[in-house]
Amino acid sequence: MGGGTDQTGDGAGTAGLIPEPVPLEPVTYTCGDCGTDNSLKPGDVIQCRECGYRILYKKRTRRIVQYEAR
Amino acid sequence: MDMSSSYQRVPSVRIREMKDDFLKFELRDTDASIANALRRIMIAEVPTLAIDLVEIEANSSVLNDEFIAHRLGLIPLKSEKAVNMLLSRDCNACDGDGRCDFCSVEFTLDVKCTTDQTLDVTSQDLRSSDLSVVPVDSLGQNTGSMGDAALEQRGILIVKLRRGQELKLRAIARKGIGKDHAKWSPAATVTFQYEPEIHLNETLLETLTLDQKREWVESSPTKVFDIDQVTQQVVVVDPEAYAYDEEVIKKADAMGKPGLVEIISREDSFIFTVESTGAIKAADMFLNAINILRQKLDGVRLSFDTQEADDQFGELGAHMRGGL
Repeated sequence: MGGGTDQTGDGAGTAGLIPEPVPLEPVTYTCGDCGTDNSLKPGDVIQCRECGYRILYKKRTRRIVQYEAR
Repeated sequence: MDMSSSYQRVPSVRIREMKDDFLKFELRDTDASIANALRRIMIAEVPTLAIDLVEIEANSSVLNDEFIAHRLGLIPLKSEKAVNMLLSRDCNACDGDGRCDFCSVEFTLDVKCTTDQTLDVTSQDLRSSDLSVVPVDSLGQNTGSMGDAALEQRGILIVKLRRGQELKLRAIARKGIGKDHAKWSPAATVTFQYEPEIHLNETLLETLTLDQKREWVESSPTKVFDIDQVTQQVVVVDPEAYAYDEEVIKKADAMGKPGLVEIISREDSFIFTVESTGAIKAADMFLNAINILRQKLDGVRLSFDTQEADDQFGELGAHMRGGL
């Protein structure tokens, strides 16, 4: 990703995720400054562990996303 | 029912020019309601195929998923097959979501840029599950004029990728009509015009000097008239170029020569211009439109309400039974 978008997975409006069982994995975020991956748990301070930068980007889902071409 | 008192007419068609994506013809002995019905059906109700569902597996391009899905939907697909296919909502053989030969065609696209040069992802990168349903220009039969032939060979641009970017998806094309979404319309343009009848008043024209004739001829925004080099008379070179703008009539009035020209439009004959996106042949668009109009008329004719209404509108009923 070019970075900067917060992909929630669900496309707007008519699009949605195809339900498929995916093993639970920790959500990783990319640091906006140094680019290293951080895994965050609920309640954690939003800050890069390497450089302390406070802007983290969520990664795109690895699941298939479905859209209506309209 | 007494047919001699009916409104029935026997329209005729004369084809002037016919190419795969272009059709020009005359439709005679009918009225604007039929002409306009055919025009509207060609634009909005002749079915074609278009990508309607996109499942994106990976997209690291600069365009977002929705944007790419929309662009894929707008790519015209060769849809000769569409008439024999089912609308996915009428298809009982499947859940309308996957690989079903009766109502859908599957496309896949998997492109990754591995070089430093920008990679163009085009309609030619789409892999079709059905060889008869492909993006319009990939058959290379759209032999456009001169320079754009090379351009067309590359297909329709979907997105550009830089090094490391990737696009991987599955798309389902379905049958549909332009009324639901313009992507299903096979029409680039469909127009009709009344055929103009232009009568020049020769005696009044002879009262003009050559300069006045020239001035009058040039007052038309389109090239309808010209001056014969030999006889120096005003002649009609192209009546159909007349755009019903009445400029020449106003000019004649302004020159103090009212009645120099009389222009009447024949309201029972039409000149159609049909341009196709390439999804189906322009001629097939017209033939399909006639069939669709027929089915609609059958729907009216066979309905119980119509049978009852026949008692009230006897003459109109005869017209309906007379066919087109």
